[in-house]
Amino acid sequence: MAAIKITNLRKEYKDVTAVEGLDLEIEEGELFSLLGVNGAGKTTTIKMLATLTKPTSGEAEIMGRSVTKDPAGVKELIDISMQETAVARKLTVEENIEFYSELCGQTKTEIAETKKYIYEAFGLGKVAKKQASKLSGGWQRKLSIALALVTKPKVLFLDEPTLGLDVIARRELWNTVRTLKKSMTIILTTHYMEEAEALSDRIGVMKDGRLLFVGTKEEMLGKTGTQNVENAFISIVEGGGQDE
Amino acid sequence: MSRSISRLAALTKRNIREIVRDPLSLIFTLALPLFMEVLFYFIFHNLTDQFQMRYLAPGIVAFSQAFLTLFTGLLIALDRSTSFLTRLFVSETKPFEFIFSYAVSVLPITLVQTVLFFLAGGLIDPSLFGPGMLLAIPVSLVTSMFFIGTGILFGCICNEKSIGGISSIIITGQSVLSGMWFPTAGLGNGILTVMKVLPFKNATILIQNTVNGITDPWEDFVLPLIIVLGYTVVVFTVAVIAFRGKMRKV
Repeated sequence: MAAIKITNLRKEYKDVTAVEGLDLEIEEGELFSLLGVNGAGKTTTIKMLATLTKPTSGEAEIMGRSVTKDPAGVKELIDISMQETAVARKLTVEENIEFYSELCGQTKTEIAETKKYIYEAFGLGKVAKKQASKLSGGWQRKLSIALALVTKPKVLFLDEPTLGLDVIARRELWNTVRTLKKSMTIILTTHYMEEAEALSDRIGVMKDGRLLFVGTKEEMLGKTGTQNVENAFISIVEGGGQDE
Repeated sequence: MSRSISRLAALTKRNIREIVRDPLSLIFTLALPLFMEVLFYFIFHNLTDQFQMRYLAPGIVAFSQAFLTLFTGLLIALDRSTSFLTRLFVSETKPFEFIFSYAVSVLPITLVQTVLFFLAGGLIDPSLFGPGMLLAIPVSLVTSMFFIGTGILFGCICNEKSIGGISSIIITGQSVLSGMWFPTAGLGNGILTVMKVLPFKNATILIQNTVNGITDPWEDFVLPLIIVLGYTVVVFTVAVIAFRGKMRKV
């Protein structure tokens, strides 16, 4: 079963078409990276899939539930980590986890289990009592992503999760994302080609709201005759390449 | 229903923690008005009735509520700018739950403000203590809803940089148009009419009259209450509309 099925999805703002006729299927357990230059339509696509923005036309289903007809049902299955760090600033790491757990109706026992899981998966236990605003950028981003897992989503959207992080913090986050692979479907947008290369099962390239390419890293290199994902991306975007 | 209540409880607890852990909010909502209450009493109470504690303390209660607009607005504006709210929009939380939790979470601060300023006033002038003062506590919670609602509205439509500027309109309005800092007897009819139709003076006299006793129920209590509640309903309605709009445009 496809975790995500997108059919002719379109989003228009006044005089701009942000996403145009998007067709895509993403399998359960897959990590799919969406690449594109600024304004390509990546974040708008994520927002439509996460029910934050209504599509102008077309349809998208998350695990068989429609984002337009059953947004509440979709919300039960997904979570999102936005480009900006989204944590409660004056709450400690522990209180942030407790807050999100309580918000999604977890019992005290479940909250304790959630905290244990997040401390182990993200190494956040060592800063559990620190206020979020006093953490470094890398730790704040880790917490922000960790909070998206509190709801135990079937589908996780990561919108430029490592934006602005130093190389060490970025590598640490990659390792964390790797541990999540297969346990859920992950859709990741990024400007870092090496990030897509290191983490993705498949890669999609968007430009001007259109999906120009979908395939594995090997297919991307083979199609463009290049040696790395960055050159392949440039070749597809500048050449306005065709999807297979 | 029980899920909605647990979400409200979680949001409210979080909002209270955010507010009370901001030292600036405690300085402006508690320390500064308390300092002004004591200072103005000792400087001016022999000069004019305006600064007798029976008028000054309830006036300070109303004045301090204007700062709630600033800190409620700032909390929401920061939540919006950091994508914190966007993340919560993906949860099952409803718009009215957000608005309700923001409003409820500021009420304990209102309660602390009122009790603190009445206690301080009563210690200076014990004649302030009495049933009127006790009745004025729930009345002050009602008047605070106008300022809190305005803060929610400003937080929905302004960013964290502009919230200080726009909230200063309310703080200035409460200072100048409440009539608590100067005698209004000599003012022209035009400005007096403005003061009568705006919520600032009405919020102030509601608390002052409750403390000091009501002689004409309509003029002293019911009419000011209707005016304050009217503004409160309007700002909350517009705030809900603005909040829904923001939810659709993330």
